[in-house]
Amino acid sequence: MTDPKQVITEAEAIEQAKQGHEAAFEVLYHLHKRRVYSLCLRMVSNPAQAEDLAQEAFLQLFRKIGTFRGESAFSTWLHRMTVNVVLMQLRKKGLPVVSLEETLEADDEAPRKEFGTKDVKLTGSIDRLQLQRAIDRLPPGYRTVFVLHDVEGFEHNEIAQMVGCSIGNSKSQLHKARLKLRDYLKFMRAEKAKTG
Amino acid sequence: MKCSDVERVLPELLDGAPDGAYQTEFENHLKSCPACSDLVSDMALISGESRQLAATDEPPARVWVRIAAELRAEGLIREPGSQPARPTLVPASTRPRWAPSAWWLAPVAAALFAAGSYVVSHKPAPQVAQQQAPAASQTPATSAPSVAPAIPEVANASPVARAAAKVAPASVPASPPLQVARKSAPPTVVGPASSADDQQFLREVSTRAPSMRATYESQLQAVNSDIRETQEYVDRNPGDADARQHLMDAYEQKALLYQIALDHIQ
Repeated sequence: MTDPKQVITEAEAIEQAKQGHEAAFEVLYHLHKRRVYSLCLRMVSNPAQAEDLAQEAFLQLFRKIGTFRGESAFSTWLHRMTVNVVLMQLRKKGLPVVSLEETLEADDEAPRKEFGTKDVKLTGSIDRLQLQRAIDRLPPGYRTVFVLHDVEGFEHNEIAQMVGCSIGNSKSQLHKARLKLRDYLKFMRAEKAKTG
Repeated sequence: MKCSDVERVLPELLDGAPDGAYQTEFENHLKSCPACSDLVSDMALISGESRQLAATDEPPARVWVRIAAELRAEGLIREPGSQPARPTLVPASTRPRWAPSAWWLAPVAAALFAAGSYVVSHKPAPQVAQQQAPAASQTPATSAPSVAPAIPEVANASPVARAAAKVAPASVPASPPLQVARKSAPPTVVGPASSADDQQFLREVSTRAPSMRATYESQLQAVNSDIRETQEYVDRNPGDADARQHLMDAYEQKALLYQIALDHIQ
């Protein structure tokens, strides 16, 4: 399917969607599909699940579009709705939304265990595909906070409210997630160097 | 500042919460510690590169196809010049002869929304089932009027729900009683219309609009599954307001499904 020509603005599409015009719904879908689907995919690491969640997020949006009054940006509204849909799905499946760890262990030493990659440096560039794979490997709790903060740009107070944790826990989870990602990426880079 | 101190303050410093007392010591430590300097650089790189992943993936075309199909089935997509989405109350004198057999859809839709509203506005407790259970055994002629006043949220409800609540009392003729809620409700909350009601709903659709049977059956299964799963979660986590709201949304969807069917088969 090709994208429909966008001959109307987002605001016009919203008003027409409230009247039930299919083309308007389609315009809104194509405007935001990547953001919604990418968010779902990053958080659940499963393309089939991400499709279902993206579908549900858009359906909830379109069912409630009559109540949108423009007090906030449409994309912000959709963004939050998508996050709620995903978090609800995680909760229903009994998956941890955040890790059970509350704070950093005070006596952790730095630098962390590096899986024998002491001489491998990340600085310079990161392969995007490797980064995506590394994010997929994160435990669900770390992945949620990391995706919401570093990928989607939510602040810690917003994340804390959405997932039901403290701001301190959110920061701790994020830091742990980044440390794990660093370890994964260095390991991947070392493995790649070995195989040439 | 030691390396262990660096890791402790790193979350604050990397996320733009500078602290004058830490900042200077932190920067001085980085100048003399390559390991910590690399750590800080790597963390900033990971954070920066990750932002590029925000909208990189394209969903398959079938996602829009499914969304559009669902919107059409729910009556949210309308052709220009077609009837308005919200059902118009048809005066009794203009109803076709066969219409009275579908009268029960409206009070069931209202009862579904009432159940959902009660779930969200009250903490789940045994008294919910006790308050609602007596209404379930009343005749529709008496239960319908009592449904509307008992709904605390109808005044603020969606237009569909308000229409459903208003329609219920006016459209109920004298007839044998209909159980609009489960007789054996779970201890924490009154459930949606029973499977017997769902079966009667589908029989009516099969009779009046057979081409829509498969669509409504599929949607009913999906929304019942959603209600069931969310209910189980709410029972385990009664304090989760988001979950209760989700359950409310699911009830609202089911009520809307009934209301749309009413609109189609009248």
